[in-house]
Amino acid sequence: MVPDWVWAALAIAVVSVALALFVTDSPERPGDALVYDVSEYEAVDAEDIRYRETLRVALELENPAALAVDNNGHILIAGEGALLVLDEAGGELARREIEGRPYCAAVAPDGVIYLGMRDHVAACSPEGDVLAAWDMLNERAWLTSIVADENHVFVADSGNARVYVYDHSGTRHTVIGERDPEQGLHGFVVPSHYFEVALDTTGALWATNPGKLGLEKYREDGALLGAWHQPGFDIDKFPGCCNPVHIAFKSDGALVAAEKGINRVKVFAADRSFEGVVAAPELLNAGWKTADFPDDMTPVRDIAVDGNDRVLVLHGPLRSLLIFEHINK
Amino acid sequence: MSEKKNTGRRAFMRAAAAAALGGGVWLAATPSSGAWVWQIDPRKCTQCGQCATHCVLNPSAVKCVHATRICGYCDLCSGYLQPNAPALDTGAENELCPTAAIKRSFVEDPYFAYSIDETLCVGCGKCVKGCAQFGNGSLYLQIKRDLCVNCNECSIARDCPSHAIERIPLSRAYILKYDDDSKGTE
Repeated sequence: MVPDWVWAALAIAVVSVALALFVTDSPERPGDALVYDVSEYEAVDAEDIRYRETLRVALELENPAALAVDNNGHILIAGEGALLVLDEAGGELARREIEGRPYCAAVAPDGVIYLGMRDHVAACSPEGDVLAAWDMLNERAWLTSIVADENHVFVADSGNARVYVYDHSGTRHTVIGERDPEQGLHGFVVPSHYFEVALDTTGALWATNPGKLGLEKYREDGALLGAWHQPGFDIDKFPGCCNPVHIAFKSDGALVAAEKGINRVKVFAADRSFEGVVAAPELLNAGWKTADFPDDMTPVRDIAVDGNDRVLVLHGPLRSLLIFEHINK
Repeated sequence: MSEKKNTGRRAFMRAAAAAALGGGVWLAATPSSGAWVWQIDPRKCTQCGQCATHCVLNPSAVKCVHATRICGYCDLCSGYLQPNAPALDTGAENELCPTAAIKRSFVEDPYFAYSIDETLCVGCGKCVKGCAQFGNGSLYLQIKRDLCVNCNECSIARDCPSHAIERIPLSRAYILKYDDDSKGTE
């Protein structure tokens, strides 16, 4: 005859083993060797963040894609079927209906607005009326960036990996980016639809060469004046296969650059030494899910710098304009 | 004469029976065109790595495939090189793939072509994540039809955190990521 306490102990042991198996049963996880992890490069030291977000403006605009600032300090934001004009505080001054979806926008010193549609440029009056639609480019064209000075309109075409130099009437004078292996020129390497042009404070034209992880400086006639390529995953470099995705210049010549892959905006001083971070991945990745925006390689659709050297960031998934100001220490 | 005829008829009947039996066995062993099979939806896949460890086959029936039409042919391929690789070459210490299944070949300066050695690929998706995060996402995972044994309950699908594995008709077989010539932004 087995005593009752033996049965009780046996029952407790069986239940304990069952519970232990239940609690510790977890699916096998892949080891570190099988998992891609760049979290160590995404972390930003708090001391490196030199800007703070001072204003966030929600935009009633479908697919906001293009951002520009005019000489009066007004902010222009173009999206699907509409062009918004905001004051410095983000208040809506005007809303213009436009046809189609612009991918980039610029305002010339005379106030004419240039919108980069997928395969052509539309010139609009300050009131938003279409003045002219320039010649269509070829079927590969995908205009991603546009800037204008007193005499020229510079247009970046990611589909053809070329920068076009137009005059204000829409006549094309120069094509930048032709390959010339004999002179060691491999042109622009543009793996995805992120290809930018910007004018620095001296009026010089800079174009990104995303596949070379940097920027190049050109004369209007297409002559290459200089290159600054910074491949790498450290914070003072550009990571991945194609970065930076957007650029702008501050009044002191500092370069503001947005990146994809590691979503952040950072600033390099005029001598191209690393100055600090404007927006860290933690800030830009908050409030939306990548899975809901599978076509966006980065939440940052465009950046600009206004007359007060504030950094403007157009956040696509949040449909918002984020404005950052330097933290004066 | 009639015996000869009978022998021929018997041989014919035997051959017909063998063909019918063989056909039946073949049909039973392979899924019909009306069958449903497991496949990964690349737009839902988050490259967690479990395809390498959860398949009943070892190595997994999940393999990396490459949509070359949208590949950027990058020198600094984030699907091929370790993050912050000290040198841009094919040295083992620089390669991202734990089994060196991605092959790199020079096209012209500064472009390189990439291909997958399926016999080495374990389907971990490490390269897929690197390519998707920084590049065009031309690398993606698919369950290879010639390897998958089409379990009643796919053991990867059971634990897939993003519910990316679904049943599709065999006539479709694969879920291709892109069927146009875009670079991946639309």
